[in-house]
Amino acid sequence: MNIPNVNHYIHAYKVAPWRIQRQWIGSALLAVVALAMVATLYLIVTSRAAIAGREIQDLTYSITVSQQVSGDLQMQLASLTSASAMQRRAIELGFRPMQPEEVEYLVVPGYAEPEAFVLSQTQNLQLSALTIAPEYNQSLLDWMDEKISSTRGMQ
Amino acid sequence: MRQQYARRTQVLTSVLGLVALAIIVQMARIQNSAEAAVFSQQAQNYAYELKTFYPDRGEIYDRNGRLLAGNKTVYEIGVDLNTVKDPHAIAFAVSAELDMDYDQLMDAIQNPPDGLSYIVIADYIEAQQAVNLQELKKALQDIAAEGTMGGLTGLQFKPHPHRSYPEDSLASNIIGFVTREGRGYFGIEGKYDTLLAGNTVQVLVPTDPNKAFEIPRVSDGTTLILTINRDLQSAAEQILDKSLSTYGAQGGTIVVMDPSNGELLAMASSRRMDLNQFWNYNVIYDKSNQFNPAISTPYEPGSVTKVLTMAAALDSSIVTPNTTYLDTGSVLIGGVTIQNWNREPWGVQSMVGCLQHSLNVCMVNLASQMGASTFYDYMDAFGFGHLTGVDLDGEVSGRLKVPGDADWYPVDLGTNSFGQGVTATPLQVMMSVSSIANHGQMVVPHALYAMVREGHQYNVPAQFAGSPVSEATADTLSEMLAISLEAEASLALVPGYRIAGKTGTAQIPVDGYYDSSYTNHSFIGWGPVDDPKFMIYVWLERPTESNWSSETAAEVFSEMAKKTVILLDIPPDYIRQQLASQ
Repeated sequence: MNIPNVNHYIHAYKVAPWRIQRQWIGSALLAVVALAMVATLYLIVTSRAAIAGREIQDLTYSITVSQQVSGDLQMQLASLTSASAMQRRAIELGFRPMQPEEVEYLVVPGYAEPEAFVLSQTQNLQLSALTIAPEYNQSLLDWMDEKISSTRGMQ
Repeated sequence: MRQQYARRTQVLTSVLGLVALAIIVQMARIQNSAEAAVFSQQAQNYAYELKTFYPDRGEIYDRNGRLLAGNKTVYEIGVDLNTVKDPHAIAFAVSAELDMDYDQLMDAIQNPPDGLSYIVIADYIEAQQAVNLQELKKALQDIAAEGTMGGLTGLQFKPHPHRSYPEDSLASNIIGFVTREGRGYFGIEGKYDTLLAGNTVQVLVPTDPNKAFEIPRVSDGTTLILTINRDLQSAAEQILDKSLSTYGAQGGTIVVMDPSNGELLAMASSRRMDLNQFWNYNVIYDKSNQFNPAISTPYEPGSVTKVLTMAAALDSSIVTPNTTYLDTGSVLIGGVTIQNWNREPWGVQSMVGCLQHSLNVCMVNLASQMGASTFYDYMDAFGFGHLTGVDLDGEVSGRLKVPGDADWYPVDLGTNSFGQGVTATPLQVMMSVSSIANHGQMVVPHALYAMVREGHQYNVPAQFAGSPVSEATADTLSEMLAISLEAEASLALVPGYRIAGKTGTAQIPVDGYYDSSYTNHSFIGWGPVDDPKFMIYVWLERPTESNWSSETAAEVFSEMAKKTVILLDIPPDYIRQQLASQ
């Protein structure tokens, strides 16, 4: 076997124009595919963020509407139980105002006077930045940084 | 052949490459052109939207959690002129539902001011009326032909909150009202307007959904809980209305306060307005001080101030309860003769008799013995001539002339001692006398029990305005007043409860002289004497059925006190004593 001839063929194969062209085309296609992937990823993230933003707007509107409905119902209830309405209904039902001499006082062991009106138990849950998951405002780099940091932390 | 194809390919590639390059160059050129800067600026303008977030006005509750002022949804109804299809249909529907003029609506829609694309045709529309119009719009859209718009297209509805008062006129003089511009007037609405209104937030909201986290958090206005007891307030107003009719009084006031901490439990005024119709203010009131006379109408209170003169005399050790004097029916002071209310001598009287018979001569003697300096020092310590500091908008102070003032004369020392020539509001007198009921400590009256913001409740502590007299003096005087009421068999007494109090029948100064036809009737009292839970002030203006407050205001006090002990669950004295002994 003539070894120099084999090397010659191998060299000829490596420098063949069609092979170089394919390498260029392959590299170009790889770059295009990579760009397409990044663009697709960006599109997905952006569209998701847009949808989430829209959902937030809808939910904010729903909260506003719910608060309006709640306020209206509260007002209706207050009107129905107003002093004049309750007095009118009591009289219609046959009640009459009590006189001091008609009151009977009983000692009830363990009875505690009702506490003063406390309104602070009803906390309003409001939309805030802390309630939005990081997926909706985190960039790809932020996400990668977080993952790398958490991986390092686990080690 | 193969080379020919290769050349063609190269040419085609070059052409396509040139086209691509041309596109890239063009893109770069456009991006950096002058027009691009303009478009970029326009994009920047639309990148953020200036939005104003209005917080809901804080609510107002009574001490038991009954809503006194809240917000309900009303609608602004407008027309989007760019999308209107049938102006006649809109004008007809709106005029029928809202009882508006059809021609005016048509004119507004067809001839809008230049440059407007949206006009408001009605505002503050009740929810039900807006819903009716919305349903009509939807029904017309449903029956419209496929692909066409309904007859009410362009009619738009914008909901917004509006102040509403479910109790209508109840406690109107305490609550005050809010105009459509959102500004509070009088009472709590006026005093705490800034707190209730909250902070309007104006921010640039990004239109980019990625920046949704920048939506601002707008806190509602502070919610207030009042010391007022709604049911007691209602009872006070009913009793006051009835007493005006019974005694032919032109006006009046009843105030109920807890003398231990200054909490106002009820404050009734004879003139009241439905707060939902605040535009009737000018119809109901001639002057602003008529809105809540208890804090804004000073008057000569008369004999109720004898309590304070006696307190000063006891505290300065001029007299004791058993000190006696000979009442001759008249006394000379500052060159003027002062007489008793019945112009008769009452003979030898103790200090209890002095209070029981409300003797002017006795009071003049006490003031003379104290001297002007001591007497006016006490009156100043009782807060006369000063504001009480009550947290209600519109308070006015009365006037106490003192030596050195251009219009003070020596006779004023005598007349001031029994409540003439000195002016004070009902609440001012209550604050002063609270020092007697509260064992020497004078309380600052207040209507705010607590405020709630961001879910946290802050309870307002009681405030005290000093101790004008000692505890011993206050307790002694309370006992003297209780004895004097019992000895007199006063109409103010409440069976089962020991009450201390004092009547006041005062002449009314008109143009420098005292009116000979009318008097003002007052009564101040508190109970139970050993552990006061309530203090009530009654003022009836110019009653015609009697000349004496012992026959009018005293009876009104008793009626109010009976209601108070029921609504505040105050057991009779013997029950409390039984419980205390267990």
